[in-house]
Amino acid sequence: MRPLIIPGILAAFSVVIIYLAMQLKLSPPMIVGHSMQPRSFPIFLMVINLILLGILAWECWRAPPPAIELEGITTWISIATFAAFYFLTTYADFFIAIAVVMFVLSTSWGERRLHVAALISVTVPLTLFLLFDEVLKIRFPRGLITNWYYG
Amino acid sequence: MLEAVSAMASVMGDPYLLGLITVTTILGIIIGVLPGLGATTGAALLLPFTLTMDPVHAIAVLATLYVSATFAGSITAILINTPGTSAAAATTFDGFPLAQRGEAGRALGVAVVASTIGGIFSILVLCLAAPMLAKVAYEFRPPEYFALTIFGLSMLASVGAGGAVKNLIGGIFGVWLATIGAERVTSIERFMFGNYELYEGLSFVPVMIGLFAISELLVQSKNAHRVADLVTLKAVKLPTREDYRRIWKTIARSSGIGTFIGILPAEGATVASMIGYSEARRWSKNREEFGKGSVEGIAGAEAANNAATGGAMVPTMVLGIPGSGTTAIILVGLMVHGLRPGPYLFTEQVESVYQIFGSMLVANIIFLGMGLYAAKLFARISLIPTAILWPIVFALSVIGAYALSASLLDVWIALIFGVVGFFARRHGFSVAPIAVGLILGHMVEVNLQNSLKMFDGAWWMILTQPLALLFLVLAFLGLFGSQIVKLITRGGRAS
Repeated sequence: MRPLIIPGILAAFSVVIIYLAMQLKLSPPMIVGHSMQPRSFPIFLMVINLILLGILAWECWRAPPPAIELEGITTWISIATFAAFYFLTTYADFFIAIAVVMFVLSTSWGERRLHVAALISVTVPLTLFLLFDEVLKIRFPRGLITNWYYG
Repeated sequence: MLEAVSAMASVMGDPYLLGLITVTTILGIIIGVLPGLGATTGAALLLPFTLTMDPVHAIAVLATLYVSATFAGSITAILINTPGTSAAAATTFDGFPLAQRGEAGRALGVAVVASTIGGIFSILVLCLAAPMLAKVAYEFRPPEYFALTIFGLSMLASVGAGGAVKNLIGGIFGVWLATIGAERVTSIERFMFGNYELYEGLSFVPVMIGLFAISELLVQSKNAHRVADLVTLKAVKLPTREDYRRIWKTIARSSGIGTFIGILPAEGATVASMIGYSEARRWSKNREEFGKGSVEGIAGAEAANNAATGGAMVPTMVLGIPGSGTTAIILVGLMVHGLRPGPYLFTEQVESVYQIFGSMLVANIIFLGMGLYAAKLFARISLIPTAILWPIVFALSVIGAYALSASLLDVWIALIFGVVGFFARRHGFSVAPIAVGLILGHMVEVNLQNSLKMFDGAWWMILTQPLALLFLVLAFLGLFGSQIVKLITRGGRAS
């Protein structure tokens, strides 16, 4: 059954999309004319996808793909930092979040010189902030540091 | 024609543009030599920096990066047996063995010269073929455009590393992503889940950054502790007269192959270099040297992969159909800067188009010089620890995703697509078809709707349009051609 897990998940996703598409409002014939309802195209796509997933499942059943090794801890830490990035951006500051994630990524990926990791984590976001703010005139979201900077 | 030549020459008279091309060429080589980054990720990261530039300058920067990063992948392919870009994978077959024999300088010299010739040849073809194709494309109406996009989508079967079925599933997922937001004719909201920031649909830039840059970051996390050894390199040498005698035919052949493959929608430099390499081997009198350090092998792969860059710009600019992940980003760049890709670009913006082509030509000449005199320095850059490089890529990615619309939602979209792209790649799905599908999705739906309106709902009338039928037949053959040939040959053997 293992080879069928991925086609199965994707098929479930396609079925959910078809269900959601079926819930979309119908447009009056006066507007749509001889063309398609807005729900038709996504349903059409997902039906094709289900056919392709059937072929994929058959291929996987006939010649099971080699088992995929579980990712190392570094990869999972990297994904976890993305979640941390969301919370830090929401409750602290966009640039504090970038600096923290950079530092964690750098050290978890094997950088032993903590001062180097810290230096990179501070200087890179700072440089990018000044470049985008001063040269490209892009305002960044409000947070602890940006509030202080923008006043 | 005179207008085109003068527009291309005007690049030389624009010091700001020349400066941009030079800086981007250096940046492109740096990105190309860093394993894992490559032209596509580089273009995705660079796109937000071009937002405030003049449209021509912005696209010239992206096109220059494409050309120079594609070439630069060969430097690390030869010196550390790690292709900087997938397009340089075939270069490792003979480049690294030659370098191990103490002839790294010769290998790099051959690669630089072959890349330059391939690149320049393809840009000349681009200058001639693009306006001719544009003239044909003027005649396209919704049925032809619909059939053409179907042809482009069918070619996705061969894009990237996944199998044909997986690539098509990825492509359809990309097309579905394009349906998120308000439907254009009826304004009915689709798959927005009450989030009105998605009313105009998913922004291309954060999706591209997520799929290419952030997913690559997660892929590279597996190589976090990798240490590369650099082969000793004294100096890069220009090919000798004997080398030229051996490789000129290979370069000419591979330049043609690369340009042709690049023109095909959804084919790219990686496929071109593999075919260029295998054809070089097939036609060589010294086949036994292949895999052991053949200069013909290096020239065959390098001329083809750089020739594909010019070729790939033809469908991108003339038809709005990207040939690869990088050209998909260039296409997004064109749209973001208000240049409408398609045949009208060649009447409304002729000067801009030829300035972009001129910039690519200049980039080829600049990287010839840099490849010959600074390859050793660039190769050292590839030794930057991944633990320093990829956190910087993270910062560039999130700030770049934010920059386009000053929206945090775009940052979350980039991160989500980064994780989705990573798991897709982990299970053998390439991310390039998702990106191409997203870009073509709107075109497919709108042209299907318009075709149905044209024929009062009779969809089969699309098949009565000769050009549309041709594209649909090509799409069918692209998808099922090999199976049909197999069936026929099996039937022939049985009888």
